[in-house]
Amino acid sequence: MITVQNVHKWFGDLHVLKGVSLQVNKGDALVVIGPSGSGKSTLLRCINLLVQPDEGDIIIDGVKVNDPRIRPEWVRQQVGMVFQSFNLFTHLNALENVMIGLRKVKRMDRAGAERMARFELERVGLADKADAYPAQLSGGQQQRVAIARALALNPKAVLFDEPTSALDPEFIREVLDVMTKLAEEGMTMVVVTHEMGFAHNVADRVLFMADGVVVEEGTPDEVFDRPQKERTQAFVGKILG
Amino acid sequence: MFGTWTALTLAYLAGLEGLYDLRYALSLLPPGGRALTTGLVTTLALMAVVIPIGFSLGFTFGWARTSHSWFPRALAATYVEFFRGMPPIVLIAFAFLITIVILRGNDRVDVFPFATSVSVLALAAHSGAYQAEIVRAGILSVPATQIEAGESIGLSRSTILTRITLPQMFRVSLPALGNELASLIKDTSLLSTIGALDLTFQGKNLSAVLVVGGGNIDLVIVIWVEIALLYFVITFVVTRTLQAIEKMYRVPGLEAAQL
Repeated sequence: MITVQNVHKWFGDLHVLKGVSLQVNKGDALVVIGPSGSGKSTLLRCINLLVQPDEGDIIIDGVKVNDPRIRPEWVRQQVGMVFQSFNLFTHLNALENVMIGLRKVKRMDRAGAERMARFELERVGLADKADAYPAQLSGGQQQRVAIARALALNPKAVLFDEPTSALDPEFIREVLDVMTKLAEEGMTMVVVTHEMGFAHNVADRVLFMADGVVVEEGTPDEVFDRPQKERTQAFVGKILG
Repeated sequence: MFGTWTALTLAYLAGLEGLYDLRYALSLLPPGGRALTTGLVTTLALMAVVIPIGFSLGFTFGWARTSHSWFPRALAATYVEFFRGMPPIVLIAFAFLITIVILRGNDRVDVFPFATSVSVLALAAHSGAYQAEIVRAGILSVPATQIEAGESIGLSRSTILTRITLPQMFRVSLPALGNELASLIKDTSLLSTIGALDLTFQGKNLSAVLVVGGGNIDLVIVIWVEIALLYFVITFVVTRTLQAIEKMYRVPGLEAAQL
């Protein structure tokens, strides 16, 4: 479903991604772990072209998407994204946040978009918060609306960029539950996270990144319980205590 | 509001008590008083021209100042610095005199009305420079993450501008824009210096008539109190309208910083 081939990215002199390759099969959840500054967020942003890779290819469902002939807007409809700081549109209520993509990207009529948006809010357990503005929602609720906003466009895959890192501890569970349900329903997902419990239980594959390269990749058991590389061992040892 | 009514009632009562010539005072007021009616209509007409032009200029150049390319940015910065750097009355005099000098001897154009129009534009441009800064600050107040979120769901650049950036910018900028409009309304009085027949011009005229005609000089105070009052009412109506708009579009978490 998603293939990343030898992707490089420079920000000025900073070589953030140094030839990253990965593969996510349809319906799989790939969890990306690694220390901060290792290029995980940049990698996610390359996949939906929020960041244009300098070298290498991004292939989604058989289409090479980092091609000048392909509109980035089209790619971003195929691949949803959920941000660390939610990034809900602050001037729109929960329902409108979910509707705007349906109206402006999918060109649905108002009634259809509203019906669809309410359905998506219900899926994340927030049907009763449709009229609330982001400032009136808890972090966990905001992140669930953000997930609904991404899902509403019926993407082929969803990228999660540390979706629980900005949350108070009491709200982490509700977001992870929504994500777990999504994975069980067969959504293709790439998740950057520090939630090792989630990674262990939900991920089909785990990928450890450091300094812009993929250090190690495998099943959760392989990476967490029997890491082969020294850097992986050190990192896993630190976060699993 | 209550204070205003109290003051007006007291002033009226003072007139009834014979502290000033109440009949003269009432005879000046619109719609009966010809001079102040013309003045009021002229001031409102000047507002109707200056406000939309000033706002359009402010919006265009404010937006240009946030552009990614250097040329619109430099152009807008030059505009802002030029028109902010001069007292509006100097700008108006300049525009008026330069136009007259340039068109001197040209019999195809009616020189004076034309020069007056140019001065009106100069005042609008002056306010536009201030409004451009307000608009620029408003646009910069929209976090980059909001735009990235828009991109992430496949919105086009123009949709992000019209549906994300502008609505958020307006909510943040409205109080400052209202402030600038209130200031601009009263700056139209500067156009009386080049012969616009606005409220201020009529005040000067009525005063002169009074003085030259040998009337009661104390009544000059009555004339200017009434003119001040008319400016106050216009400004009050406009700022209250803007406050109502602000309230209508208020969204939790997106209020402008309250003073």
